[in-house]
Amino acid sequence: MKSIQSRLGLGLAATLLLVMLALLQGSLWLFDSGLRRYHESNLQDEAETLLTALVRGEGGVQLDERRLHPAYQRAYSGRYFRIDFADDIWRSRSLWDSELPRPAGKGLAPALAEGVAGQRLLVFRGDYRRFGQQLSISVAQDYTPVLSSLARIRWLGLGLGAGSLLLVLLLQWLTVRRALAPLERVRRQIAELQAGRLSALDSRVPRELEPLVGEVNHLLRHTEDTLRRSRHALGNLGHALKTPLAVLVSLANREELRAHPALRATLVELLTQIDQRLARELGRARLAGEALPGAHFDCAAELPALCATLRQIHPHVDIDWQAPAGLRLPWDREDLLEALGNLLDNACKWADSTVKVSAGEEAEGYWLCVEDDGPGIVLAQREAVVDRGNRLDEQVAGHGLGLAIVRDIVQACGGKLSLEDSAELGGLCARMRLPRRGRN
Amino acid sequence: MRLLLVEDNVALADELLADLTRQGYAVDWLADGRDALVQGATEPYDLIVLDLGLPGMPGLDVLRQWRGDGLATPVLVLTARGSWAERIEGLKAGADDYLSKPFHPEELALRIQALLRRAHGLANQNELKAAGLVLDEARQCVRRGDEEVVLTAGEFRLLRYFMLHSGQILSKTQLNEHLYDGESERDSNVIEVHVNHLRRKLGREVIETRRGQGYRYAGDAEQGR
Repeated sequence: MKSIQSRLGLGLAATLLLVMLALLQGSLWLFDSGLRRYHESNLQDEAETLLTALVRGEGGVQLDERRLHPAYQRAYSGRYFRIDFADDIWRSRSLWDSELPRPAGKGLAPALAEGVAGQRLLVFRGDYRRFGQQLSISVAQDYTPVLSSLARIRWLGLGLGAGSLLLVLLLQWLTVRRALAPLERVRRQIAELQAGRLSALDSRVPRELEPLVGEVNHLLRHTEDTLRRSRHALGNLGHALKTPLAVLVSLANREELRAHPALRATLVELLTQIDQRLARELGRARLAGEALPGAHFDCAAELPALCATLRQIHPHVDIDWQAPAGLRLPWDREDLLEALGNLLDNACKWADSTVKVSAGEEAEGYWLCVEDDGPGIVLAQREAVVDRGNRLDEQVAGHGLGLAIVRDIVQACGGKLSLEDSAELGGLCARMRLPRRGRN
Repeated sequence: MRLLLVEDNVALADELLADLTRQGYAVDWLADGRDALVQGATEPYDLIVLDLGLPGMPGLDVLRQWRGDGLATPVLVLTARGSWAERIEGLKAGADDYLSKPFHPEELALRIQALLRRAHGLANQNELKAAGLVLDEARQCVRRGDEEVVLTAGEFRLLRYFMLHSGQILSKTQLNEHLYDGESERDSNVIEVHVNHLRRKLGREVIETRRGQGYRYAGDAEQGR
C-alpha cells in the first residue's frame, strides 16, 4: 500500500491543478469577452462617426476626409472600414490592396477575421439609412495586441500557479507530516516491540489512535497473561503427574521388587518412557515461540545466572559465556533458557573441562552457540542425532531428549539447529540460528 | 546427620523417609510450608530437602526467608517444576542443588552425600575421605588402605558425622542433636557404646576423648594426612 502521505499529496496536487487551470482559463475568457464588448461600443461609435462623415457634395454622397481618424489613411494601420451601398463599396485607404469581408450580420462578428500581415480583426457591422439610401458600415480593428497580452497573462498565470502549487504542496507535506507524527511514532514503537526492546506501546497518543494502541497493548497483556496462566497450569499438571511418578520410581526400587528383576525392568522402562514423554510434551506446550512480540532475552542478565546454575550441577566443568554488550534477543526468555540449559547440560556431560556459551548478531538474525572440549559427534551421526533426537549413549542420561526439546524450541522460533565442530575448543558446537522478527 | 524433609505428598514422603532412614539419616518430616519455615530455622539440621509446591507457603518463599534470615544449612530443592528458568529461580532463592521429579532414589542419595561433603569443605571428592579412612556410604562400610571394615547402622551414622567434622571437638549433646530425629529418645550412653565399638574395630586412636568437652575424630594417624 502507498503511504498516506503520498496519497494525500497526490490527491491535493491533482485537485489544485484542476482548479487552477479552470480558474485561469475562465478568467481569461471573461477578460477577453469583456474587452470585446468594450471594443464593440468603440467600433459602434466609429461606425456612427463614419456615418456622420458622409456628406452630400457636388458628385453626390461623399466622405468628409477631415472627419476621419488619420489611421484610416495609413496602410495596414490596424483600423479599417468598408461602406457597402446598394451598388457600390467604399473601402478605407488603410486596407490598401487587401480585402475586408463584410460580416454576415449586424453587430460584432462572433469570430475574428483574418487580416494582412498576421493581423486578426475584430469587425463591427452597422446597417443605416442615409440620404434615402440603405447602407452598411463595417469597421475593423486589429485585435492581435490584446491577444498577445492575453497570452502573456496566461503564461504569467501558469507560472504563478505552478509556484503556488509547489508552495501549497510543501506546506501540506509539512502539515501532514506533523499530523502523522504520532502514527510514525507508533510504527517505530511496533518495530522496537518486535525487536524486543519494548514490552508495550506508549499510550500517550492522539485520540484517533487511542483505540488502536489500547487494543494492541491489551492484546499484548492478554497474550502474556494467557501464556503465564497456561505455563502455570502446565507446571501444576507436571507437579500433579510427576510426584506420583516419583513415588512409582521409588517403589520400583524396593527390595520386594528387586526379587523380580524382569518385572522391575519392565516397570522402570515404562516409567522412564512416561517421564520422557511427559517432559517432552510439557516442554513443547510451554513454548512461547513467536507468540509474544514484546519478549526479549537479555544476554548479560540471563547467561551468568544460567552458567552459575550449571556450575552447581557440573562442578568439574569450567563454564564461560560471551556475548556483545547489551545484546537482547527478541525471543521469550524461558524458551531460550530452556534451549540453552539443555544444550549446556549436554555439553557439560560430554566435556573434559571447558564449556562455552556465546551469542551474537549477524545479517540474517541471531545465533547462539554452545561449545565443549569433549569428543564431539562423528559427522555422519550428527544429522541423525538432531533429526530424531535419539540417544547416542544410554549412560549419559537425557542426551537425546534434551536435543529433541531444543529442536522443538528452535523450530517454534522459526530457527535452525545445527551441530558443528568447535574451532576454539575442539569438541562439539551446537549452534542455534534464529531469524529476525517483524521484517515482512 | 539430621535431615529435614519438606514434602506434601504423603506417599512420596513415606518412600523418601524409608530410603533416607535406611541410609542412616535421622529425618524429620513436615508437609506444610509455614511449619517448615519455623522448624527449619530453629532445629540444627545438617541438610534440608525441600519440595516447592507446598501448602501453606510456597517452597521458594520459605527458602528466600531462610536465606534472608541468614540460615546457611544446605538446601536441596526437590520439584516437579524442572524447567531451566525455574531452576535458575531456585538457585537465586538460595538453593544449593536442584533435583527434578521423578528421580531415582540413588540419584537423591548421591546428591545428598555430595551436598553434605561440599557443605563441610570436602568438595571435589566422590567418596567421603577423612584422615586416612574412606567411607563407602552406599555399602555402609569403611576402608583403611585395602582393609575393609563392616559397620552397623549406628556405627556408620556416628563415623560419618565424625568424618564430616574431622578434627573438630564434638560434644555429646551436639552428636545427639545431629544423629537422632526429633521423635527419638536421646541417650548419651548409646553414643558412648558406638564410640567404643568404633574404637574396637578401627583402633583406639581413631576417636580421641577430650574430658569435659566431648570427642574428636583423629583418623588413622599412620595412613592419614
